[in-house]
Amino acid sequence: MSPESFHTLYKLLGSVSGFIYPNELEIRWSILIVVYPYVTGLVAGAFILASLVKVFNVKDVQPVYRLSLLTALAFLLVAPLPLQAHLGRPERAYEIFLTPNLSSAMAMFGFVYAWYLMGVLLLEMWFEYRRDLVVWSREEKFPMSWIYWILSLFSRDVSERAVKFDMKAVRTITIIGIPSAFLLHGYVGFIFGSVKANPWWSSVLMPIVFLMSAIVSGIALVIVLYMVLIPLKGGKIDMKCLDTLTSYLFYAVIVDFSLEALDFIHRLYESEESIQILGVLIADKLMISLVVIQILLGMLIPAGILVAVKSMKFDPELRKLLYFVSAILIQIGIFSTRWNVVIGGQLFSKSFRGLTTYKMEMMGVEGLLVALVFLILPFIILGVLVKIFPPWKASELGEAKTS
Amino acid sequence: MFERIPEQIRRLAIVFVIVIGGTVVLRYFVLPPSLFETRLHRESTIQREVAKQVKFAGTTVCGGCHEDTATVKRKGFHKNLSCESCHGPAAMHTEDPMTVKPFAPRKRKFCPLCHEYDPSRPTGFPQINVTIHNPLKPCITCHNPHHPEPPTVPRECSACHAGIARTKAVSHHALIACTTCHRASRKHKVSPRRVKPTKPDTREFCGKCHREGSKRKDAPKIDLSTHGERYLCWECHYPHMPGVA
Repeated sequence: MSPESFHTLYKLLGSVSGFIYPNELEIRWSILIVVYPYVTGLVAGAFILASLVKVFNVKDVQPVYRLSLLTALAFLLVAPLPLQAHLGRPERAYEIFLTPNLSSAMAMFGFVYAWYLMGVLLLEMWFEYRRDLVVWSREEKFPMSWIYWILSLFSRDVSERAVKFDMKAVRTITIIGIPSAFLLHGYVGFIFGSVKANPWWSSVLMPIVFLMSAIVSGIALVIVLYMVLIPLKGGKIDMKCLDTLTSYLFYAVIVDFSLEALDFIHRLYESEESIQILGVLIADKLMISLVVIQILLGMLIPAGILVAVKSMKFDPELRKLLYFVSAILIQIGIFSTRWNVVIGGQLFSKSFRGLTTYKMEMMGVEGLLVALVFLILPFIILGVLVKIFPPWKASELGEAKTS
Repeated sequence: MFERIPEQIRRLAIVFVIVIGGTVVLRYFVLPPSLFETRLHRESTIQREVAKQVKFAGTTVCGGCHEDTATVKRKGFHKNLSCESCHGPAAMHTEDPMTVKPFAPRKRKFCPLCHEYDPSRPTGFPQINVTIHNPLKPCITCHNPHHPEPPTVPRECSACHAGIARTKAVSHHALIACTTCHRASRKHKVSPRRVKPTKPDTREFCGKCHREGSKRKDAPKIDLSTHGERYLCWECHYPHMPGVA
């Protein structure tokens, strides 16, 4: 250990309470590991929203179908980056493919990720956009025409039969995609849930709680993006679509909240030996991030707003504002959920007799700035994707305008 | 037959064949086998490690020349500590003892790396509070690092048991001296782990203040014959912070 890091850690000693083991002073899974489940959650949530249209035939949310796919892709491309930065040595990352370790859940990440990216998301997008790519490759000027032509894999067939096959393929892939999305984010929950030495994480409910919160955050994100992008593109927000989206968001919040409450009550009733330190953890360290931000700001208030909007007849402008506010609040709440799981789980000692403190770096590889970059990067990628693969046709924007 | 497969599938199949074929070619023909073979992997790791320059000489080699110091150190508390833990890697010194001299830590900041008070260190491990323990004086002025023993016996128990002292200071037992309940021989202060202080071993000991009818007015009273029965008081009540069971 270098003298500098010794001194940094030494300062932390002052904020340690009770008894902790020497190797518990420093928190190893930093804010980057908070960003990772948050970002993958958004991917899974956005994809599941997209599948509502194709598998469950919810026609009302058709306007956000393509946007959801693009959002899922933009965030999926960024999802492994926090892990790469955290682990270091990104040039050796390919080794998890070369030397697969079937008995390690963490080592299987590469395969789960590759399957979801290559086997599901890119395939579905290709079939969904193929017809348009062919059309655009004819309409656009060089070099975009060439890019579209290459992306369509030099396809020229836009016959009714071919388009029908595309639609069938999209539906099939979506059906495979739902369990895949569950696998992707359930997997992240599994990683935490299977750490049996840590009572804050070890719970069979963890994968399913992660999944539900993923759906919540994904839908909330697509709502925010839809409400921002449509006016920017000069279109008009489809209120029917927005109402349906927020209804689904509300149901997802309720299920998510119930599951988390169930988990909490279950722990409380079981009252295992760890319950005392978990109580102190919540009261001392997670009061703001868990009780205030996650539960109050991130769940109860937005759920309350949504109930109010659904039960009273507000005019569309006020409805839009309230939806937007609750979607943002939910987003903050879900980020806080990830924080409470990842950081909270490392704040108490395995001796159950003491607590440590997380001192976040600012500039380092594991610091706040890098985390912010990983949170902003998907939006930049999404901007480019929206430019190349417009999620709405001019006619759709126009129709909305006139209606 | 080929014509009946939809065009899209054919195109995608080509892409997948290229991706999978490319991976196979890369895996079996381009990348060196040492990347996959764990045996080769380990061999090359060993070669890499063996090629590294040896930096540590080992305590036995040090004792060969510095016999006097080694004899003194063998009897002291630092007997299990390697010479190079403090003096740094000394292989070069053993090869050329006159020109290469090993590092000798003389500054005050060095010893607290192990001996600064830290709640996670084991009980009885000699620990000090650097700010108030003879400020500014290098440790080696009073302590011989090869045979470390306190030059003067610690006056207060809190010199080592700082955590307990701080807890007790804010408890109902704040005004009771440690020696009221514990008897610590002088040897405990020199060899804290070999000679332990005593603990109260009867219920009547606490009963002196806490039994019904005791003269001590401000202490909570219990009936010794019915309360707790076969347990010693401190098996349930933490005497350094009574009230917390």
